[in-house]
Amino acid sequence: MNGLEIKNLAVDFGNFKLDATLNVPRGCVTGLVGRNGAGKSTLIKAIMRQQEASGSILYNGIPFFGNETEVLRRIACVFDSPHFSTYLRPKRLLKIVKGMYPAFDEELYGELMEKFALPGDKLVRTFSTGMKRKFGLILALCQKPDILLLDEPTAGIDPYDRGVIIDLIQQFMLDEGHTVLFSTHITEDLDKIADYIVFLQNGKVLLSEEKETLCETYRLVQAPELTDGMREEAIGVQTSMFGYTFLTRQKNPVGEGLLVKTPTVEEIFIHLLGEEEKK
Amino acid sequence: MHIQLSLRSGPIYEQIEYQIRAQIFSGELKAGEALPSIRTLAKELTVGIITAKRAYDDLIAEGFLYAVPGKGVFVAEHREDEIAHGKTERLRERLREAKKFARENGIPPEQFAEILQEIMEENDERS
Repeated sequence: MNGLEIKNLAVDFGNFKLDATLNVPRGCVTGLVGRNGAGKSTLIKAIMRQQEASGSILYNGIPFFGNETEVLRRIACVFDSPHFSTYLRPKRLLKIVKGMYPAFDEELYGELMEKFALPGDKLVRTFSTGMKRKFGLILALCQKPDILLLDEPTAGIDPYDRGVIIDLIQQFMLDEGHTVLFSTHITEDLDKIADYIVFLQNGKVLLSEEKETLCETYRLVQAPELTDGMREEAIGVQTSMFGYTFLTRQKNPVGEGLLVKTPTVEEIFIHLLGEEEKK
Repeated sequence: MHIQLSLRSGPIYEQIEYQIRAQIFSGELKAGEALPSIRTLAKELTVGIITAKRAYDDLIAEGFLYAVPGKGVFVAEHREDEIAHGKTERLRERLREAKKFARENGIPPEQFAEILQEIMEENDERS
């Protein structure tokens, strides 16, 4: 069962085209990785129906058209910048959001606002980046969605607050009917909690794979010399004054002076991109 | 149950498996004891759900744990001799790794044996 089943979702801005087909498994955390301009935010907006797109999306198996109200109640999103007026105070925003989402959990709202010491009577625009992000996440969680989308939830946030946000995501995932898709540049977060990884490049899905399988598919190799045998298998070769660093699909690469390790998501991302750019 | 992860040493699911096994061997985890759910384990350790599931699945396949659908995951019964056999097998595994390291670094077998002997005679206060 997939939380999101996305088929030929296409957006055409003229100079940029998104054309994505992918599944986001239900009950799991999927990380969306890509360079700036790869189409991550556009994809998330299209899933949230805030960006017109062709193609089809099933939300927990339900198509959008004909079930608009139900679908919109099942999904919630934290955008990279608040999508509500920051000239309001949380108290007022609470009333507005409550009116929009009948399932809104006011008890949870009070609990989380207190836990993170967010003032209900100050203008949201006076909040720090971390406070705004946490507030956005609280509003999204209290809508009681099944599917939570997060666009760069940890960007520009200090390590402590990043930990708090990661913890809230994992708290949400205690329910196996829930699904999370989050885009990020901070692949360290993905190394920790993501179950699936999707690489987006120039509006296309370059790769979509279970994280552990992905990390086990490759080895990261540092080699003082690049022999012809290695060159054939090497992906995204980087050269430094001390030698060569590259990915390989070989399970046990052997050679003089080789350092071999399991790569992180970031290392896979960098070398695969390097290989793509070469083409 | 307590688990500490080090991000530097080996796959996370192997670390979880290793530590749960060790606690079963030491008697800290007793037969029939309930373990946290996969999702709770994932949250508490800040790891992926699939990672936590893989650790449990492996331990269930090895017979250390068993799952009751709808109830959770529990520590399996173990005969003393099985546990003892398991311990010596794990020690062998680690020594094989050490042997591989010795060979790769040009330490001859005689010296390897000597070092092992020296370690056995060391005062344990250091560790």
